[in-house]
Amino acid sequence: MEGRFATFGIIAKIAFRNLFASRLKTMIVGGIILGGALLVVVVGSFVDSVVAGMRRSIVGSVAGDIQVYSAQSKDPLEVMGGFSLEAPDLASLDDFAKVKQVLEGVPNVKSVVPMGINGAIVPSGNTIDVALAHLRELVRRKLSGKATADDLAAYDAEKGHVHQILSVLQGDIKNARQLQDEKALSPEDAAAVNKAISPAFWADFDKNPLDSLEFLENKIAPQAIDADMLFLRYVGTDPAAFAHAFDRMKIVDGTTIPEGKRGFLFSKFVYEDQVKLKTARRLDKIRTARNERGEKIATDAELKRFVRENSNQVREIMLQLDAPKTALFRDKLQKQMGSSEADVAKLLSSFFQTDDANFDERYAFFYKELAPSLELYRIRIGDTLTIKAFTRSGYVQSVNVPVYGTFDFTGLEKSPQAGALNLMDMVSFRDLYGFLTAERAKEIGELKKEMNAREISRDNAEAELFGTKEEIAKPEPAPGAPATVALAAGKHGRAKGKGAGDAVKPTGRTIVAEATPGLNPPPGEGLGAKLAREELVKRVYDPAQLESGAVLNAAVILKDESKIPQTIAAINAAGKQAGLPLKAITWQEASGFIGQMVVAFQAVLLVLVLIIFLVALVIISNALVMATLQRVQEIGTLRAVGAQRRFILAMLVLEGLVVAAVFGGAGVVLGAVIVKIVGKVGIPAPNDVSYFFFSGPRLHLTLGTGNLVAALFIVFVVSGLSSLYPAWLAMRVNPRTAMQAEEG
Amino acid sequence: MKTIVAVKNATKNYALGKVTVPALRGVDLEVAEGEFLSIAGPSGSGKTTLLNLIGCVDTPTSGIVEVAGKDTRKLSERELTNLRLNTIGFIFQSFNLVQVLSVFQNVELPLLLQKKLNGAQRAERVEALLKRVGLGEHIRHRPSELSGGQRQRVAIARALVTRPQLVLADEPTANLDSVTGQNILDLMKELNQTEKTTFIFSTHDARVMSHASSVVRLADGKFVDRLSGAEAIAAGVNRKAPTAGVS
Repeated sequence: MEGRFATFGIIAKIAFRNLFASRLKTMIVGGIILGGALLVVVVGSFVDSVVAGMRRSIVGSVAGDIQVYSAQSKDPLEVMGGFSLEAPDLASLDDFAKVKQVLEGVPNVKSVVPMGINGAIVPSGNTIDVALAHLRELVRRKLSGKATADDLAAYDAEKGHVHQILSVLQGDIKNARQLQDEKALSPEDAAAVNKAISPAFWADFDKNPLDSLEFLENKIAPQAIDADMLFLRYVGTDPAAFAHAFDRMKIVDGTTIPEGKRGFLFSKFVYEDQVKLKTARRLDKIRTARNERGEKIATDAELKRFVRENSNQVREIMLQLDAPKTALFRDKLQKQMGSSEADVAKLLSSFFQTDDANFDERYAFFYKELAPSLELYRIRIGDTLTIKAFTRSGYVQSVNVPVYGTFDFTGLEKSPQAGALNLMDMVSFRDLYGFLTAERAKEIGELKKEMNAREISRDNAEAELFGTKEEIAKPEPAPGAPATVALAAGKHGRAKGKGAGDAVKPTGRTIVAEATPGLNPPPGEGLGAKLAREELVKRVYDPAQLESGAVLNAAVILKDESKIPQTIAAINAAGKQAGLPLKAITWQEASGFIGQMVVAFQAVLLVLVLIIFLVALVIISNALVMATLQRVQEIGTLRAVGAQRRFILAMLVLEGLVVAAVFGGAGVVLGAVIVKIVGKVGIPAPNDVSYFFFSGPRLHLTLGTGNLVAALFIVFVVSGLSSLYPAWLAMRVNPRTAMQAEEG
Repeated sequence: MKTIVAVKNATKNYALGKVTVPALRGVDLEVAEGEFLSIAGPSGSGKTTLLNLIGCVDTPTSGIVEVAGKDTRKLSERELTNLRLNTIGFIFQSFNLVQVLSVFQNVELPLLLQKKLNGAQRAERVEALLKRVGLGEHIRHRPSELSGGQRQRVAIARALVTRPQLVLADEPTANLDSVTGQNILDLMKELNQTEKTTFIFSTHDARVMSHASSVVRLADGKFVDRLSGAEAIAAGVNRKAPTAGVS
């Protein structure tokens, strides 16, 4: 045994001494190994931290640890995807209460949140429409003689506002002339604007307000296209359960949706990004970039663009200004700018021409002096939002929901990904998605009763609607014979017959079409429908409805999040046992494209490591081959004096291992120190998108033992592999080589 | 006297590309224990090839080479290595010391490979041997700190440390000045006589040959004759074999 130690000692000594003797080779090989180990630790920790951050963001903002949806769905579920308008085709889980019961029966499940995700286009209003409606109301009061002094003052102000809008439109037409062919512009439109802005028109307005209003509404309003369509993605859920399960969620403005009430919560990000006055939003963005990321207007192309857009696009503000506000703005801006310019548009344009020196001052001035006179948000907390969405069967369904407030997720305030989804109560969601809710079913039932309707099967529909061939062949229906006309009953039971304009009296045979989800009576645009919708908003639903109805998917929060695969298997098994078509997927699968980025990050890292170490392998192997060739005589001598091949192999492998251990160890330690330091300081998110990946404003790297072990493992494997060829060469060195000093 | 080396009709061919070059063409040789034998001959005569075969670093193409009673053609690579380790000591023309090891470690190396002695026994033997070759003061030195003669003494000590039956020396004095070469030769002779170790060395130096108990002459890979040292000098080996190119 002692001899073995001594032999190992001599091998180690030869190995160490050789490492020192050929320092250049050792430094090259060691340097590569050190760099590789350091890279694996640092980049591995970075990717792991980003993946952990993304996981926290995805799991904590909407996905939960596991998502469950119907196995009968045509498309896979994507809770974070959806940059397209088309939602995935999911089959519904019709009885959430049962689903919940089954899921909560799985041991590792902590909580279950009902969900459904969809998108809708919401019109956000047109300034001139609103102004003209207001003016019409004031005219009505004036004409009725009930106008107060305030009304009269408002009447004059609103006239000034409309005049202001006309000036903006006239400017638009002038600009358009410079850009477009004269023929492309409608001369009638220009003439209408010119007429509307003329003093004669306004002189006549007071005498003939209704005709003037009609002219403005028909000829001018269609030209003022400033209404934006908002595309809102929303998750229908139980707001209380959602807030409880996703504890990073917090209400920023307003309140949460009260229990049992229909309502809508804007994601703060969407509210700021899409609903806020664009000029103000751009000012906020410039401020954030300057203060948080240290960027400069002078050097950053995006900030320059924001300044340019703010300066060129004052129209959005100008449209909001009535006469008193115009005067107020003129006065304030003249003082602020030290200018005698009378044109407010020009004053605003030059005011927004900000640079790094004056930005902070003007930002403060805007919010202190100008913003209070402006509608900063197109939709305010407390407004009622009319959301129109296509149901699954293609019909347009609309629901009025009050906006209760805004929310965001702690640490993800600036993330467009985490902030992409708004929140809606599940009952309204079901209406919009076209589920037959209990309310609707009751409503339809009452209508059927009222109309004395009966259901017919699809097969007999033609005969029931138009009569049998024999009946149709009859030249005249017998007097008093039952009508053969069927129809989908209107809200008030009025229906149209087969002939245009033929009113058909309700008969005992009026028929309501088969009630298919999504084929509820069309909502209509009439006053009655509007009232019905408004009444619906006020209506309180029974919270039990949330539980009993249909959902598209459900987020499952786990007690032990490390056991996702086992829990998925348990959920799928429990679903099968309960006869429910449940399909459970990981947060990563559910998050679609974003979730796949986690895999992509890891794949990129793997490929990077592979490439680096493949290159390292070749370089190290080459260096060792060179070193071996230089030592042929020494190796031959050792062989001649009695060293077995394995002694030579051990010597070279030990050299490789020593280099791997010393330099690989140093690389790992250095990498760990870097990760610790960077982990403490944190890497600041370079842009808003990174907030999601970093799960906050800074990425704090965490040191995983996995990366340390992986780095050492890779280093040893690479060292071992790269020593193989040189060791094989060395083992083949013939002891005769020792004698070959000179041939005799 | 017992035979330590028996070479019977040994041939050795080397392949140089597609050409086969005969290095030895049927050589016969017997070496008795305790001999101090010199192999002489001009360049290309096959001296080193014969030493390689006797030293078990090579095996004959045909014929038999027996070392310490073992037919080298019948031994595995591992057994040949063990035979070299336990039976043969090597002294190289270029000393071939491991530069990164000290004098002591170089000499100790074969003992470590043998794994027969413990540390103290090894130290005792190595130190005694180094004193014997006049390097008692230099045991911690590195080879690069020694003169050529001192390095060859280290090589001699390394060759003798396992107490081999046979020491092979390939031109042991070729890289040394005449005085140092003479000293080395005296040392080898002394060890031959006191330890009864068999020495076989190749040389072209007449003075070296004069110390030999017998001189085997080779030419073109063939055995020419076997003379005593005095006979060889008398036969004018040195004159016949030109100095240049002879090793």
